[in-house]
Amino acid sequence: MFHFSTLRITVSLTITVGAGLLFAACHTDKKVDFSTEVKPVLNKHCISCHGGVKQNGGFSVLFREEALGITKSGKPAIIPGHPEKSEFIRRLTCKDPKERMPQKGEPLTSAEIDILTRWVKQGAEWGEHWAYISPKNVPVPDITITNGNEIDHFIQEKLKQEGLKPSPEADKMTLLRRVSLDLTGLPPTPEMAQQFAASTDEHAYEKIVDSLLQSPHYGERWAAMWLDLARYSDTKGYERDDSRKIWRYRDWVIDAFNNDMPYDSFTIEQLAGDLLPDPTRDQLIATAFNRNTMTNDEGGTQDEEFRTAAVMDRVSTTMDVFQGVTIACVQCHSHPYDPFRFEDYYKLMAFLNNTRDEDTHMEHPKLRLYDSVSTAEVKKVSDWVAQNGTTQQAKDIQEFLKVLEPKVHAHVADNYINGALLDTKYMGIRNNGSCRLPKQNLEGKTQLLMNYWTGSKGGSVEFRLDSLNGRTIIKHTLAPTNGRLAISMPLPPVTGTHDLYLIFRNPSLNPADAVCSVEWFAYRDDIPGKGKPGYDQINNTWLTLINQNPDDVPVMIENPPVMARITNVFERGNWMVKGKAVTPDVPHSLNPFPAKAPRNRLGFAMWLTDTKNPLTARVMVNRLWEQIFGTGIVETIEDFGTQGFTPSHPELLDYLAYQFMHKYKWHVKPMLREIVLSAAYKQSSASTPELQEKDPANRLLARGPHFRLTAEEVRDQALTVSGLLNRQLHGPSIMPYQPDNIWQSVWSGAYWKTADDGNQYRRAVYVFQKRTSPYPSMLSFDGSSREVCLQRRIRTNTPLQALVTLNDPVYVETAASLARHMLKNGGNDATAGIRWGYQTAMYKPLPENKLKVLQTLYNQALAEYKQKPAEADKLLQHKDNTPQKAELAALTVVANAIMNLDEFLTKS
Amino acid sequence: MTKHARLIKEANDQTLRYFTRRHFLTDCVKGLGAAAFSSFLASCGSSTKTLLDLAGNPMAPRVPQFPARAKAVIYLHMAGAPSQLELFDYKPALQKLHNQLCPPSLLEGKKFAFIRGVPKMLGPQAVFSQHGESRAWVSDHLPHFATMADDVSFLKAVQTDQFNHGPAQLLMQTGSARLGRPSIGSWVTYGLGSENDNLPGFVVLTSGGKTPDAGKSVWGSGFLPSVYQGVQCRTKGEPVLYLTDPEGMSRDLRKESINAINEINKQEYTTFGDPETLSRISQYELAYKMQISVPEVMNINTEPDYIHEMYGTQPGKESFANNCLLARKLVEKGVRFVQLYDWGWDSHGTDENLAIDYGFRNKCREIDRPITALLQDLKQRGLLDETLVVWGGEFGRTPMQENRDGKDMPFLGRDHHVEAFTMWMAGAGIKKGFSYGETDEIGYAAVKGKVAINDIHATILQQLGFDHEKLTYQFQGRPFRLTDTGGKVITPILS
Repeated sequence: MFHFSTLRITVSLTITVGAGLLFAACHTDKKVDFSTEVKPVLNKHCISCHGGVKQNGGFSVLFREEALGITKSGKPAIIPGHPEKSEFIRRLTCKDPKERMPQKGEPLTSAEIDILTRWVKQGAEWGEHWAYISPKNVPVPDITITNGNEIDHFIQEKLKQEGLKPSPEADKMTLLRRVSLDLTGLPPTPEMAQQFAASTDEHAYEKIVDSLLQSPHYGERWAAMWLDLARYSDTKGYERDDSRKIWRYRDWVIDAFNNDMPYDSFTIEQLAGDLLPDPTRDQLIATAFNRNTMTNDEGGTQDEEFRTAAVMDRVSTTMDVFQGVTIACVQCHSHPYDPFRFEDYYKLMAFLNNTRDEDTHMEHPKLRLYDSVSTAEVKKVSDWVAQNGTTQQAKDIQEFLKVLEPKVHAHVADNYINGALLDTKYMGIRNNGSCRLPKQNLEGKTQLLMNYWTGSKGGSVEFRLDSLNGRTIIKHTLAPTNGRLAISMPLPPVTGTHDLYLIFRNPSLNPADAVCSVEWFAYRDDIPGKGKPGYDQINNTWLTLINQNPDDVPVMIENPPVMARITNVFERGNWMVKGKAVTPDVPHSLNPFPAKAPRNRLGFAMWLTDTKNPLTARVMVNRLWEQIFGTGIVETIEDFGTQGFTPSHPELLDYLAYQFMHKYKWHVKPMLREIVLSAAYKQSSASTPELQEKDPANRLLARGPHFRLTAEEVRDQALTVSGLLNRQLHGPSIMPYQPDNIWQSVWSGAYWKTADDGNQYRRAVYVFQKRTSPYPSMLSFDGSSREVCLQRRIRTNTPLQALVTLNDPVYVETAASLARHMLKNGGNDATAGIRWGYQTAMYKPLPENKLKVLQTLYNQALAEYKQKPAEADKLLQHKDNTPQKAELAALTVVANAIMNLDEFLTKS
Repeated sequence: MTKHARLIKEANDQTLRYFTRRHFLTDCVKGLGAAAFSSFLASCGSSTKTLLDLAGNPMAPRVPQFPARAKAVIYLHMAGAPSQLELFDYKPALQKLHNQLCPPSLLEGKKFAFIRGVPKMLGPQAVFSQHGESRAWVSDHLPHFATMADDVSFLKAVQTDQFNHGPAQLLMQTGSARLGRPSIGSWVTYGLGSENDNLPGFVVLTSGGKTPDAGKSVWGSGFLPSVYQGVQCRTKGEPVLYLTDPEGMSRDLRKESINAINEINKQEYTTFGDPETLSRISQYELAYKMQISVPEVMNINTEPDYIHEMYGTQPGKESFANNCLLARKLVEKGVRFVQLYDWGWDSHGTDENLAIDYGFRNKCREIDRPITALLQDLKQRGLLDETLVVWGGEFGRTPMQENRDGKDMPFLGRDHHVEAFTMWMAGAGIKKGFSYGETDEIGYAAVKGKVAINDIHATILQQLGFDHEKLTYQFQGRPFRLTDTGGKVITPILS
């Protein structure tokens, strides 16, 4: 023991001396920068044991007050201004392996120790990570460029520093194909290509850009990006994975991009459209963004568990999408690296935890899209209410008819006697059985609506207050129904909040059968004007409207105050273990909550779109950049935090973010226009050994973008060049060819029905998205399964992709279709046909050396099909009656090859 | 440093360099020039791994962190969760309580998927006896498997925290009950690559007429690059989607057309110098090879009669037996991870097929011979020593009889049970004829040797040569691993 402590003293003495020398050696008092110099060292070496997850020795370097605080030893580890007295510095250099930090890793380099030492000496000031400070109006670098726009000043300044030169402009037609794919996700139309090729106008390119931005296909292309973020799907997910009708949200996104809706409105409407004053139908549909969370219909699942899971997904997704910071880890503990505290997560959750949706099978609340007749009926009812009551009452009844909320779901009931929540979905109670709806507020309500169904006569229900023997407030006969039916039962005056006991009876039933199934309850006021002529009719109209099943779409609806939820911290992220209650707030490490904004989802959305928010604009312009150039300025588009990559061009990112907010007022189209008009974008994408050596990933942009098309583009391009594309916009999702036996969901009768009405040729963005069984060919090309928000598709290159474009009947059909055009346009000259096919696919003439390869292939195929005409017929799917079948089949083989070329699958 | 240690270090350094997600493919090919192009094509299939090989093939075989006991894994997942109380966890005391009301102490504070109110206890619906030198209890539902008792290690006290199929299957297969994490097979191929260039490294085979409850996510690659997702091979229709040439396209013509494509792509590469083009060339070659090798390996017609008899296989049928035989063939060919799902084990008693006294018996009959044959076949080929076989469901079944919605059920059934169930492992350094863990006298709670789901994962990775805490992937600002924040290797069952 004695020996040990002596040793310790000796060691620390040596270290102090050594450290003293080190300090003396630091002549330079060059100011260290916290976020670029200190924080990376802390993140790399210290924070996994001394940060948000673990605070070994009571020491953490996540926040300044923690770093300077008293540690377990009773003393602070960092003494600002005095590295020689700081245990933090001593431990980095000491020789005793028991003491030296990091305990498990390699020691820090002397350069790293120097940084930390100078930092402590200079006062251990905390600096903010660049991404948490609002972007400033960065001046454009003052360098001379020969062509291009402001963006090129930033790009070329950096290139100059690296001793690189930009590449020459790509040839005209390559550029046309590139910009058309980038802006609309489709290759250019033949007319556009002809016009552009022939044009001598020096503004021809600009004009093409403008017309592409006006194309209705622009919205489809950018929606494809957004739908990954919104985890849009046509099914609910989890075990049963039944269908969900939410395609109107997809169409809303397409329209929002097409109308160039400013990104701040785009954000607000999706997060809180329902809370805007008198929201329009579209603003309500926009809120389906956060109804794209999954719903679990598996029997035996607790709705509250999966409601909570959905809300937590909304918190993570919202922060992922709009802030580019990952917060999911904060649900269990403070962020290991970034300045987000454990409670921040739940404070954010408190904004999003107050909506009516409760993981029910029917996915309420849904916006009811009445047809014109019913819309007129709704107006008739609300006009009556306005005339005979107040405008407030009229508004209230309109709201109710719009979404049928607020209602109370059957799963709220407990204390079941001789009954149960059937399939954990519907209340089912046998003769003389009962259950309880706890703590219901009926104050001022005059009628109770109940949605139920039964095939049996003789049933009845009784509602009692506070106990099974309490005061009876309703006694009602339950007639057999034809499907689900909402009935109205009068309520006597009741004050305050009560437990409601429900007793169901039907002595005529088999004792094992339930009297009826109940889905929901609602407490309402009578329509005013009782006794006036026409009242009964209006009342009837009202009830009929409630019982209609119009088309609908799941939306967000806020809880009324009486139903407001309290949000608690979940201890260690476990939803069953509730900690203290929290109120809605935003992380203090970001911009302050806007002074006049309400403390609800709307205020939260306003906070996100406040021009002071450091992340919203940066994250979005970075996404646009990544879509165009293949890599974001911040490569980790999903992580702008301290663990993310530092931007390749930080000033450019800030310049773009500032322009986006202030010059373009959040409009995406002019932002994209500026990007695609830059010389950097227009460069040739040919690489050289030098560039490959110096900048393999093309981060510096000394050459143009060159990368594989997205899953959607692969499909859409094949349909376009083959002339099959159905350009129709909008509507329910479609089912193009998919191999048999792909859908095998448990307990679901859903099946794939291949379209044969032209819908099979529509764009990928309309293809039915099933979460547990995504469309296989798109999945092969890194398409997302849409279970959770996906921010970045990592491009892969696999043999399964080759199999899709070679063999999938969809691609064989497109090849055959292109071949038909090749035959027609080439006449009897096969070479002309091949040239025509390549030109159609690539928008430029076929080079001679490639022609030779394709001619050889053609001749081999032709010889074979001449010998075996039946095979030709099979390849053409028995669709052709031409005498030139062998030629056509051979051209199909060639077309299939063209449509599998690297250059065809690549945006060049 | 010993030679072996140095090789491992080199391999690890390489892996670290190449498999940082962010420069997943691009970094690997830094420095590639046109000059290297010809050598790349020449080096295909050679054993020296160049930068180019890795760029072209993220499935290139890699050396694990330490010498491995297992080269491959066959994971037999009985989707729906078979009853441990009718198979391996023999509880005579439960028989005595049969039909008595469940004591309240077992119900207080507990949640069940379907049991409501007070259910009755359900005695074992099987006859048990002891087998082999290990005297392991196996019921008469699995008479063939019982003969293999001395080859496996039973885990009698596995626990989970998910009592619904979807989330529980996800937890079992991806380490998280929520969607979005890579499956075990994805982690394994990410860590080890594949030993066969012409076959996928991670193959999934399903039987029972349905995919598992959690859908294809249980073999998804989550945040790992999609090249690591499981490839479902089918015994009906095309073995791999789009594998077959279009009708009317001969093999020769396909070969010629791939040659033409690759020839033009080579020209393209000389113009644009993008290494992805090279990668595409090799992927097209690989696709062509897969078109031959996959149907070959998926074809069981050529297996000798005694093999068919042993497994109970019928060519052309979609069956668990066929899948077991395929699993052996795939592992033999160097496939790293073969995942079988057999659906139909959810014995609630709601109908005859899902009754513990009818359908369950039939399901057992369907797997008994195939599983036994698989173990024997691997053994006779010397493959069992390097193949880890794992068997289990996603949770267990209650000692109580299910009373869904509070009523008597038409058939005998058991509800989902999370507190204790049985799994077993065999081969690749797992103890033979061993049993680990115990439940209480009615099989309700684990009392000794408890095993968590991430312990199973840690053990699988351990046998493959990985420290489960060190096989990580940087995502969303932190390193993720299969075992999340837990996981302990089950050392007592390792030999």
